[in-house]
Amino acid sequence: MLRLRARRQLGRIALDVDIECHHPVTAIYGPSGAGKTSLLNLVAGLVRPDAGEISLDDYILFSAARRIDLAPEHRRIGYVFQDDLLFPHLSIEANLCYGRDLLPAAARRFALDQIVDLLEIGPLLKRRPEHLSGGERQRVALGRALLASPRLLLMDEPLASLDQGLKNRIIPYLCHVRDALQIPILYVSHSVAEILELTSQVVVLNRGQVVAHGDFFTIATHPQVLPLVEEHGFENVLDVEIAATDAERGVCQVQCRGQQLKIPYCDQPVGSRLFIGIRADDIVLARQRPKGLSVRNALQGTISAIADVAGKQLIYVDVGCRLAVKTTPEAIEEMQLNIGDSIYCLVKTHSIRLGPHLGRLEKR
Amino acid sequence: MFSAEEIQVLLLSLRVACCCVLLSLLPAVLLGWLLARREFPLKLALDGLCHLPLVLPPVVTGYLLLLLFGRRGVFGPVLAAFDLQLAFDWKGAVLASVVVGFPLMLRSVRLGIESVDPRLERVARTLGAGPMRAFLTVTLRLAAPGLLVGSLLTFARSLGEFGATITFAANIAGQTRTIPAAIYTYLNQPGGESRVVGLIAVSVALSLLALVASEWAARRLRVR
Repeated sequence: MLRLRARRQLGRIALDVDIECHHPVTAIYGPSGAGKTSLLNLVAGLVRPDAGEISLDDYILFSAARRIDLAPEHRRIGYVFQDDLLFPHLSIEANLCYGRDLLPAAARRFALDQIVDLLEIGPLLKRRPEHLSGGERQRVALGRALLASPRLLLMDEPLASLDQGLKNRIIPYLCHVRDALQIPILYVSHSVAEILELTSQVVVLNRGQVVAHGDFFTIATHPQVLPLVEEHGFENVLDVEIAATDAERGVCQVQCRGQQLKIPYCDQPVGSRLFIGIRADDIVLARQRPKGLSVRNALQGTISAIADVAGKQLIYVDVGCRLAVKTTPEAIEEMQLNIGDSIYCLVKTHSIRLGPHLGRLEKR
Repeated sequence: MFSAEEIQVLLLSLRVACCCVLLSLLPAVLLGWLLARREFPLKLALDGLCHLPLVLPPVVTGYLLLLLFGRRGVFGPVLAAFDLQLAFDWKGAVLASVVVGFPLMLRSVRLGIESVDPRLERVARTLGAGPMRAFLTVTLRLAAPGLLVGSLLTFARSLGEFGATITFAANIAGQTRTIPAAIYTYLNQPGGESRVVGLIAVSVALSLLALVASEWAARRLRVR
């Protein structure tokens, strides 16, 4: 378990965090300049906090009060940077072994073969970094960090420099690492979709402060989190389970917290789970279950909050999970919407996004 | 082909140039690292001081060395205490070469270090390498072409050093008479032209070789 309570002045903003991470993967989410990378640097020992205490399991890595500040090389914390930063003068094999060779044999947790097999980088071993593709380089960087037998793995937007196709091919490797090697991971990203492939545990950081921490589906519609998540219109993200597929009509029937939804057809077996995205602008509210409308989906719920977020009127509807719905002040007035009212959320099947971004949620 | 006296001149010059390169390498790595990687007050002043001999007339450099390290100079008593004589000695020729050649060495080493992504060293640290090991196995290893370029340029500069050397170490046959001093001396003697041909040929060849080699090393540095 990583316990991080630290403060550090970064130019004009002050990074001030107090979090505990005890999940296999905890994601750090936030806009650029929020202090995400600096947070990782504090944990790695590359930047010294002004005050606070950082501990990993029973090891104290930093304590201002006790005057402890372990050097990065003594922390045993792996770090995968946004750019792979492979050593250009070493072969891939020498890159992989750089950290491992500095460890006494008894402290090595993984064999070279094991990591090479896991990341499928065997054919690259004799090559030089300059001859590798971006995705290959990032896998080698991950392998190099793993072979140093870290107690915690820090990843700073490791996929940011890759295009979408490559991202989708790297993510399964990250899942392998998460499931097979039992190394806790702190994962920085500004992409919700990418984060949800790995974990739903998110720390949301803005201007150096933790604005929310916990399960993404619980905190996503938090008034402080929503404007951050909202890049091109906020997207509600729901995890659903496929109940039936109908290739002929191009739809799937899914279960979502006890309610039925029809989503665009996807080639997944019944019972598999996936994420779907519904934009807050694509939801229509209705007092009664509609008749004579083409809309297939009507989720019943109750209004749990009405908020003015970043100049937009948002109505939060609890349909088993919380949905954010964008409306106008006139509509709220005309419909006399109040907290506690029962309401239907209408969603067109084809405005639901399965997207290439949102993959399968593996059962753990 | 060469007389015994000329061979003595060549050997002395090579000895001075080699000592000059060896003596400037470590300070250049330290200063180059400091200037490339650290911010501190008076950095510009230090940078300027190191590069001063590049623009100062070498004779002035030599005279200043005499004022500092001459027998009656500022550090004269200190040197005497260690029974070390620099002025009018081949060791003085080395010192003169070091001071005059140092800017070239420092520039190349600094460029070499600056060309290495500082984050690579941080990676090495997170992989378990201490600061010294990380510096040696990553930064210095990648800056090696810069060190090579600096060494070759300094070597060539030392071979050609005349003004500061003749002022500080003088032109004593068999002791401080390097190639340029010998050529200067022979040319001032009747019929000396025929004696300098060999020395000129050697200095042109050595300088050319050093320049070509440094250009090759510099290209390797740029490729990365």
